[in-house]
Amino acid sequence: MERIFGIDLGTTNSLIAYADEDDTLRVVPDPETGSPLLPSVVSFVGPEEVIVGTRAKEMAAHQPLTTISSVKRLMGLGMEHVTAADRQQYAFAADEGIVRFQIHGRTYTPPEISAFILKELKRRVALVLGEEVRKVVITVPAYFNDSQRQATRDAGRLAGLEVMRLVNEPTAASLAYGLHKKNQGLIAVYDLGGGTFDISTLKLHEGIFEVLATNGDTRLGGDDMDRRVAALLLEQLPAESRRHPDVVSQAVAAAEVAKIRLTDAQSTVMELHAGSVHVQRSLTRIEFETLVADIVERTVAPCRQALKDAGLNPSDLDEVVLVGGSTRMPLVRRRVEELFGRKPHTELNPEEVVALGAAVQASVLSGREKDTLLLDVVPLSLGIETMGGVMERILERNTTIPVTAKQIFTTFVDNQTAVDFHVFQGERELVKDNRSLARFKLRGIEPLPAGMPRLEVTFMIDANGILNVTARDERTGREQSIDVKPSYGLTDEQVEHMLEESIDYAEEDVSARLLIEARNDAEGLLHATRKALANAPLDGDERAGVEATVAQLETAMQGTDYNHIRDLTDELNRVTTPLAQRIMDASIKEALERKRVEDVA
Amino acid sequence: MALISTPPAEREGAMWPAGARVSCWHCGAEHPARLFCPACNALQPLPERADYFQVLDLPRRLVIDPELLQKHYYDLHRCLHPDLYQTGPQAARQASLRNTAALNRAYRSLRDPVDRGLYWLTLQGESLGADNKRVPPDLAAVVFEVQEQLEELRAVRNRNGAAQALVGEVVEARAELLERQSVLLQQLEENFARWDAADGDAATLTRELKAILSALAYLGTLLRDVEKELGA
Repeated sequence: MERIFGIDLGTTNSLIAYADEDDTLRVVPDPETGSPLLPSVVSFVGPEEVIVGTRAKEMAAHQPLTTISSVKRLMGLGMEHVTAADRQQYAFAADEGIVRFQIHGRTYTPPEISAFILKELKRRVALVLGEEVRKVVITVPAYFNDSQRQATRDAGRLAGLEVMRLVNEPTAASLAYGLHKKNQGLIAVYDLGGGTFDISTLKLHEGIFEVLATNGDTRLGGDDMDRRVAALLLEQLPAESRRHPDVVSQAVAAAEVAKIRLTDAQSTVMELHAGSVHVQRSLTRIEFETLVADIVERTVAPCRQALKDAGLNPSDLDEVVLVGGSTRMPLVRRRVEELFGRKPHTELNPEEVVALGAAVQASVLSGREKDTLLLDVVPLSLGIETMGGVMERILERNTTIPVTAKQIFTTFVDNQTAVDFHVFQGERELVKDNRSLARFKLRGIEPLPAGMPRLEVTFMIDANGILNVTARDERTGREQSIDVKPSYGLTDEQVEHMLEESIDYAEEDVSARLLIEARNDAEGLLHATRKALANAPLDGDERAGVEATVAQLETAMQGTDYNHIRDLTDELNRVTTPLAQRIMDASIKEALERKRVEDVA
Repeated sequence: MALISTPPAEREGAMWPAGARVSCWHCGAEHPARLFCPACNALQPLPERADYFQVLDLPRRLVIDPELLQKHYYDLHRCLHPDLYQTGPQAARQASLRNTAALNRAYRSLRDPVDRGLYWLTLQGESLGADNKRVPPDLAAVVFEVQEQLEELRAVRNRNGAAQALVGEVVEARAELLERQSVLLQQLEENFARWDAADGDAATLTRELKAILSALAYLGTLLRDVEKELGA
């Protein structure tokens, strides 16, 4: 049976995991560094060169506007949701519509950027396991709305993956904890990551994980703390250099390092180089905790709400589980313990637990794991706009999914052939305070006197938490045609188009990668050769031969013919072999001579 | 094919009207309606008009043991949930999705006594409708008193005045409202038991049920307002 992989597409880091033949859960590590984490950073080094992960993260300080990090925060959003801090961090293509980045004369949507991260995870599996990833489970914050979920699914499709299921991160984490080994109980999962916060309460019963309530904030996490700490460093700089994206980016990186150090250390020192200016700032844990206390405090109200919606008191809980890198912070642990009145579980690595849980769910879907079943909920109420901009709720938040609700629509004037309705998600009374999901148009209605047509619209939220709308004419029983215009997402046609484009460019993608690798290898050899030439005894002919090859290779590296670069690299390797030999001999001789001197002495 | 090999034996077709026959989408065999085709074991879509009791495979009785309800709900999920049909044929996936959606809706409605009562009214072709807008006579006095207290509290808060004493009064009022609510819930259970025992004619029982449910709805709204003001 084909393996299904579990992916945690995180704000800061992404991971891919699977259950092996013995049902052991494994994260696929980076083949070079062995790290399970892939930094969720995509850098467009040049118009043809895209790099993902650790090296892309290093590029952030040098090429901040063509390096995209934390793209998850912008998934499924429109330009009106973009903050001032976002504008400092990214170059956007336009002021309205869905978010689009402007990079090297092209525009990219957040799902396209996320697709680069997914492709890199796919490549990682190909290198490590020699297996092609085709089917996946991808995790999303439980509090993600419909648009954010759709955007995640689109990213999967754009990466050439079949997304079998979107699973909520806290729910996935509870699966990984193997809490089902306990027969039953009530648990809370507190998930504070780089960019999002979720709280879920669950009831466990003989392998069934029933989510009772969920709450959260999709724009709250460790990133906010980094920005806050970075401001401390930046305020020491002259005003004009504070705004430089590369300086801001460096400051944020230094802040992140300091934050992580303060998990164990009581104090640390941050440094920042901005041109000729060099600033330092020491930071104690106490000062840091005071600085970010209000950010941690923002998680409290969602926790209380999730308990209340589940009809629970903190004392009813049997377990509390911590998920997400930010829960390593002592302040967060103390606050959670205080809030729930018990010590939270921290046995599993909070950065890996979500990916491992996704792998469990992948096993369930492939039919291998038969004793576990997830019953999740929709995090936000669903409604339609009615008179006066009021939201009429058709599905309440925390309803177990999949679920359907039906609504009858009719016409207001005689012979009307189309009816529009506008769908929202959120808890507020007025639609303007909730998030618009999409506009729908029922078309081809039979011309009849006003109020006569009866059009039954079915709103179904599937097991991914994604809305599907269908309609039929109640009188004739015929399927009613319906147009969908997503408010902050891509239409199916747009995704198809992007896919076609990326297939056309797939060949180019591979070429670009081979070119980068060829250039890197050549650069390494050139560096060594120059160093050797500078202090090695070489006669005129040999030297001229090596120098000529160096010049040829340097010219070739300006071009894009990676085969040519490879050939010349091999050639340079060949002509420098005697040189290398002689350097080696020389150093041995030198060593021997020194020894003799010592002997004599 | 991801079809359940051993469907729970008790699922004999309580979800369909007695004597109903269907033909299987998978093997085409016509057979007495069951959740899984007796010939090929394929999952069948539940009938469109199944009521919530049928969906949960329970007798049509208003007094429900919460543990039994949860057991039926979980057992059905263990053989209906879309996760189990992910790699199966499209028709089985569709049936699973539809059945699960119906199951979730039915459970949400039946597990809460008030929702269960409201659903029962719709089965009788009734609804709370306009009755819901009138203050139930028994509650009138306490409702007006609490509303007055809330208004006073809001006014004092708007002037940034000392609200301590008023808050104390509202807290006391809340306790009384909760007490009344639990009495009404008790009455609701008694009404349910009489329906099940056919103790009284339907018209009387319906009238009584409507009165209890409107009083509960009224109290519910008032309690929400109280919580909001106390939470502020």
